[in-house]
Amino acid sequence: MSPLLEVAGLSKRFGGLAALDGLDLHVEEGEIVSVIGPNGAGKSTLFNVVTGLYPPDDGDIRFAGRSIVGLPPHQITKLGVARTFQTVHLFPNMTVLENAMVGQHCRTRSGVFGAILQLPSTRREERMVREKARAALGFFGPRLAGYRQEQPAFVLSYANRRRLEIARALATEPRLILLDEPTAGMNPRETLEMRDHIVRMRDELGLTVVVIEHDMRVVKGVSDRVIACDYGRKIAEGTYEEVAHDPHVIEAYLGKRAVG
Amino acid sequence: MSQEARTTRTLGRFERLPTRRIVLVALSIGIATAVAYGSYRTLTLPAGQRYSGSAWRDFLVLGVAQGAVYALIALGYTLVYGILRMINFAHGEVFMAGAFGSFFFADAWERSGFLDRRPVLAVLLLVLLAMAVSVTVAVLLERIAYRPLRGAPRLVPLITAIGASLFLQNTFRGLFGAQTRGYPKPTALEGTWSILGIPVQRVQVLVLVVAAAAMVVLTQFVSRTKTGKSMRAAAEDQEIAALMGIDVDRVIVTTFVLGGMLAGIAGVLFALTFGNISYFMGFAPGITAFTAAVLGGIGSISGAAIGGLVIGVLQSIGPALLLTGIHVPSPFQLKDVVTFLILILVLLFRPGGILGTGEVEKV
Amino acid sequence: MVRAGAKAGLLGGAVLLYAAAVGMLVRLDELHLVGTQVTLGRVLLVLPPFVAAFLAVRPRVVGGRVEQPGPPAALAIGALAGGVTGAVGAGGLALVDAIGLDRVRSVFVAVSPALVETMTFGRGLGLGAAILVLGGLGLGAVGGIWRRVRHGLRRPVEVGLLTVFVLGMLQRVVPFMLDELRIERDWLYSRVTRGLTWVGAVVVLVVATAAAAYVLDRRERHGRAPLEEGRPEVRGVRRLVLAGIVVAFFAALPQLAGSIVSEIMGTVGVFLLLALGLNIVTGYAGMLHLGFSAFFLLGAYSIALLTGANLVTAFGLVAPRFSAHLDFYVALVLVVLIGAAVGALLAAPVLRLRGDYLAIVTLAFAQIAVILATSSWLQPITGGPQGLRDVTKAPLLGIGFRSAENFYYLVLVACVLAVYVSWRLAWSRTGRAWNAMREDEQVAEAMGVPTGRYKMLGFAIGGAIGAIGGAMFAVKVGTVQPGSFEIIQSITILAVVILGGLGSVPGVVLGALVLLGLPGLLTQLEEYRFLIYGASLVAIMILRPQGLIPNVRRMRELQEEERTQDAWQQIFAARQEEEAAEGATEAAS
Repeated sequence: MSPLLEVAGLSKRFGGLAALDGLDLHVEEGEIVSVIGPNGAGKSTLFNVVTGLYPPDDGDIRFAGRSIVGLPPHQITKLGVARTFQTVHLFPNMTVLENAMVGQHCRTRSGVFGAILQLPSTRREERMVREKARAALGFFGPRLAGYRQEQPAFVLSYANRRRLEIARALATEPRLILLDEPTAGMNPRETLEMRDHIVRMRDELGLTVVVIEHDMRVVKGVSDRVIACDYGRKIAEGTYEEVAHDPHVIEAYLGKRAVG
Repeated sequence: MSQEARTTRTLGRFERLPTRRIVLVALSIGIATAVAYGSYRTLTLPAGQRYSGSAWRDFLVLGVAQGAVYALIALGYTLVYGILRMINFAHGEVFMAGAFGSFFFADAWERSGFLDRRPVLAVLLLVLLAMAVSVTVAVLLERIAYRPLRGAPRLVPLITAIGASLFLQNTFRGLFGAQTRGYPKPTALEGTWSILGIPVQRVQVLVLVVAAAAMVVLTQFVSRTKTGKSMRAAAEDQEIAALMGIDVDRVIVTTFVLGGMLAGIAGVLFALTFGNISYFMGFAPGITAFTAAVLGGIGSISGAAIGGLVIGVLQSIGPALLLTGIHVPSPFQLKDVVTFLILILVLLFRPGGILGTGEVEKV
Repeated sequence: MVRAGAKAGLLGGAVLLYAAAVGMLVRLDELHLVGTQVTLGRVLLVLPPFVAAFLAVRPRVVGGRVEQPGPPAALAIGALAGGVTGAVGAGGLALVDAIGLDRVRSVFVAVSPALVETMTFGRGLGLGAAILVLGGLGLGAVGGIWRRVRHGLRRPVEVGLLTVFVLGMLQRVVPFMLDELRIERDWLYSRVTRGLTWVGAVVVLVVATAAAAYVLDRRERHGRAPLEEGRPEVRGVRRLVLAGIVVAFFAALPQLAGSIVSEIMGTVGVFLLLALGLNIVTGYAGMLHLGFSAFFLLGAYSIALLTGANLVTAFGLVAPRFSAHLDFYVALVLVVLIGAAVGALLAAPVLRLRGDYLAIVTLAFAQIAVILATSSWLQPITGGPQGLRDVTKAPLLGIGFRSAENFYYLVLVACVLAVYVSWRLAWSRTGRAWNAMREDEQVAEAMGVPTGRYKMLGFAIGGAIGAIGGAMFAVKVGTVQPGSFEIIQSITILAVVILGGLGSVPGVVLGALVLLGLPGLLTQLEEYRFLIYGASLVAIMILRPQGLIPNVRRMRELQEEERTQDAWQQIFAARQEEEAAEGATEAAS
C-alpha cells in the first residue's frame, strides 16, 4: 500500500536561507512518526509547506497517492490533513466550542440562504456540527467540557489552549494530523498526559500522526518511527533506539567530537 | 470521535482550478489590449483632430511638473510608512494646511505689492510659512492621534487617520470658510521661459527646481546625517534601534517633521500652479501621491520620487493618449480614474512597487 | 500634580478656543436646552474647565503606587485647571480685541461680534473675561472634587443630568410625541425656545436621579443589575421582547412624531441600512470597506435606469441611452443581483491584499464610481452632474412610497429584515467562518475555511445591501445626482459602525440614531456633523476601539468571568463543607 504521506526532494528557501533542502520522507497510514532535529532544522517549515501555507521551491508532496503541491491550505485540510502550530493560534475571542466548531467547516455545506431561511437541513447540520465539536473536545475528558465550552478561548490556561488547538484540528475529521511541538511549555505531568493522548489518537481514532518534538520521553513513548532532520535534510531514520544512537544525529545536537 | 470508515476525500472539479491565476492573466491581457487599442486610435486620428507634437510636449512638461509636486507629498507617505508601517491618510490635509497657512500672507502681500516687488523673497517666505504650518499639523497628528496607537493592529491607525483627515478638513472649513480662494501668483511667475527651446511655464520651472532641491536635500539628510541614519535604522527594526540607544520617539517625530516640511513646500507649489485653494484640496492629491508612493515602492525614498513623476506624467498623458482616440468627451475629467486604476493594478500585480521586491506581503 | 493641573488647563483652553474659532460656540448657542439661559453653546463653554479639572486630578500610577490628590489638593488643582482654561479663553478674547475684531475676522471667519457676546455672556470684554476666569475656577473646583463625591450620589446625578441633556436634544421629537399622545407638555417644553422649561428640567432631573439611585442601590444589594439576571433562555426571551418593543416604537413613530420627523428618520433609515451592510462586511468579516458609497451609487442609478427615469439635459428631459421600464420590485431584484455581482467582482482581485491596502482600494473604487457618474463620457447614461430624475415612486398595490410616512415604513421593513439577516448570519456557519477569518486569517485557512470565497461573499452581501439602500434613496428623493454619493457617505457609515461597535447590531442602530438622527433633527448640529464624525472616530480608536455598545461576545466575557468566579466560590465552599463533614465523621469514628 502506498504511504499516506510522501515527501520527495522538498526544497524551500527564504531569501538566502534554505529551510528545506531536498527532504525525503514518507508516512504509512496508522503510524506515529516523530520528527526531531535541532532548532532551525526546518521542521515547522515542513509542516507549513505540506499544509500549503507556503509553496515549495522544488519537490513533490503526495497525500493518499495524489500530489497536493499548489493546493490552497483549506483544500488540503478538506482532503484530510490537519495540523497544530508551534505557538498556539486559537481564535481568542471565540468560545472554546466555537473554536472547535470552526474545524467542522470543511465537512459541512450550509451557506447564507440556509442560515437566513433556517432550513431544516441547516438546523440539522448545525446540531451535528455542535455534537461533533463537543465530541472532539471530549477527547480530552473533563478538561474542555461543561461550562468551559462557552467561555472565550483567551481565558484558558496554557495547557488547555494546546488541547483546544488539537481538538479543533481533530474536529476537521482528518486522516493525518501534524502536531507541532504539542508539549512545549507543559509541565511533566501534562507532558505525559499528552503522550498518552497521541497514542490514543492512533488507537481510538485511527489517525496517522506526525509529531515534531523536542522532549525525548514523548518521542520514545509514542513513535513507531523517528525521522531526524538537520539543515532541511533528513539525516537519520528508524526506531527511536536506532536514531538516538546515530552518530549524525548526535553530531547535529551536540556538535562534533573535539579532536584529541 | 466517530470510528466511521474514512472515505477518500476528493475535491470538486471547480475547486482545482487556479482561479486567481486565470483572472489575473485575463485581466493583464485585457488591459494591455485596451491600452494598445486606445493609443493606436489616438495616434492615428486624422490630422485635424490629432494632438500636435507640441501638444504632447506640453502634456509631458505638465506631467513632470505635477509629478514633482506629487513626489514631494509621496515622500511624506513613504517616510511615515517606512517607520510606522501605517498609511498616514491625513497627510493630504497636512499639505492643504501648508497651502492655507501661506495663503493669508500671500494675499496680504499681493495687496501690498510686496509679492510683485520682491517675488523671490516673497515666495521663499511663503514656503517657509507653509512648512511651519504643515509641520505643526503633522506633529500634532503624531502626538495626539498616532502615538497612543503604536503597536495597534494596522487597521486601527488607518481608521484614526481617516477620522483625523475628516476632522482637519472640517476644522479648516470652520476656521476659514468653505469657499475656494484664489491664490495669488507673482507677476514674475506669469508667462513662460524657453528651456532648451521648449516653452515651459515659469511656475513649472519653479516647481521643478524647488522640488528637485528639496529631494536632494532630503536624500543627503537621510544618508549622511546621524538623524537620517537613525531613521533608517528605526525603519528597519524599531526594537533593535531602541536597544542601540536610538530615541525612537524622537526619530518618529523627525519623520513627521520632514514629511510635513515637504508637504508644505508642495502646498505652495501646488497653489501657485493651480491658482486656488480650498479645504478639500488635499484629498485628491493625497490619494494620488499615495498611489505614487505605492507605485514606486512604499518605504523607498527614490521610489516615491520616481513614482510621483510617473504618476504625474501618466495623469497628464494617459487620458489624452488612451481616450481621445475612442472619442471620449472631456477625457481629462477621468484623470483620477487613471490614477486609481493604476493603484489597483499595482496592488494587484506588484504590491512591492517598481523598486520593490515583487513579493506579495502576506496578510 | 500642579503641572498636571496647568497642563490640563491649557488643553481645556485650547479646546475652548477651538470651539470658538470654528464657530461651534455661536452656532450651537442657538439651540436652547433649558430655558433661555442653558444653550448647547453655553454647555460647550462650561464643559472644558470642568472636564480639564476632572482629568487633572485623576488617579495616576506613580512608581508602582496609585496616587490621587486628597480633597483639598483636588479642589485646588481642579480650580487651577479650570481657572487656566478660563484664562486662556479670556486671553483669546483680549488678543482679538487688541488686534482688532475685523482684522481677525478677515482670516478666522467665525470670530464675530456674536462670538464675543457669547463668550462674555453679553457683559462686555472686561466683565466677560472676569466671568470666564472666575467661572473657570469655580467649575474647575467642582470638577476636581467631583470624583471624590460618593459613588452612590455621583452616578445618579450624572445620569440625571444626562437625561435632561438628552431630552433637551430631542426637542424636535418628544414634544410632538407628547402632543400626539394628548399629554400636556407645555410645562416640560417651552413653545418659545423649543427647549425644556426650567420647571420641566428640574422635574426630569429629580425623577431621573431618583430612578438611577434606586437602580444603583438595588444592584449593589443584589450584586447584579436587574435586567441581567436569569438563565440564558430567559435572557433570550427578554432580549426578543425588548427588540419587539423597539420595533413597535419605531413603527408607531410617524403617528407620534409627525411627518417632518418621519422624513428625517426615513433618510436615517436608509443610512442605517447601509451601516448594517457595512457591519456585515467590516464587523463580521473584518474587512475595512471604504467603498460602500459606490454600491449606494450603483443601486440608485440602476434602479433609476431600470424604472424609466429621465436625464436632465439643457434641452429638457431626455431618455437615457439604456433604460427600461420595469416595475420597481422587479427592478429591485435585479439591483440586488447587480450589487452582489459587482461586490464580488470588486473583491476578487484584491483578496490577498492586506487590510489597509484593501481599504484604500475600496476607497479608490468608490471615487472612480463618482467620477464616472459625473463624467461627460457617461452623460448619455448617467446624466452627468445633473443626474436623473422622475424616479419611480415604487408603487405597490396602488400605494406610492415617496410620501414621508410611506417611505418610512418601507425603510423600516428593510431595516428590520437587515437586522434579522445580520442576526442569522452572525450565529451561522458563515458567521463562524467570518469570525475565524477576522481573528486569524491564516489559521482559519489552515482549519479548512476558504477565506477567499468568504471574503467575496462578504463583499457580495455588502454590495447587495448597499445597492438596496441606493435604490430606496433614489425612490425617496426622486432624483439621482452624483453629489449625493460622494465618499463622505462611506466614511459616515463607517463612523456609525465604529461608534456603535463593530459587529454589534444594536450598537449600529444606536450609532445611526445618534450620529445621523441628531444632526438631521437639529440643524445647528448639521453644520458640524463631519467635524464630529472625524473627532469621534479618532476618539473611539484611541479610547475604546470597541465602540459604544460592545459586541455581545466581549460583554459576555466580562459577565462570564464573574460567573466562573462565582462558580468556583461555590465549589470551593462545597468542598470545604465536605472536608469539614469528613473530618467530623472521622473524629466521630
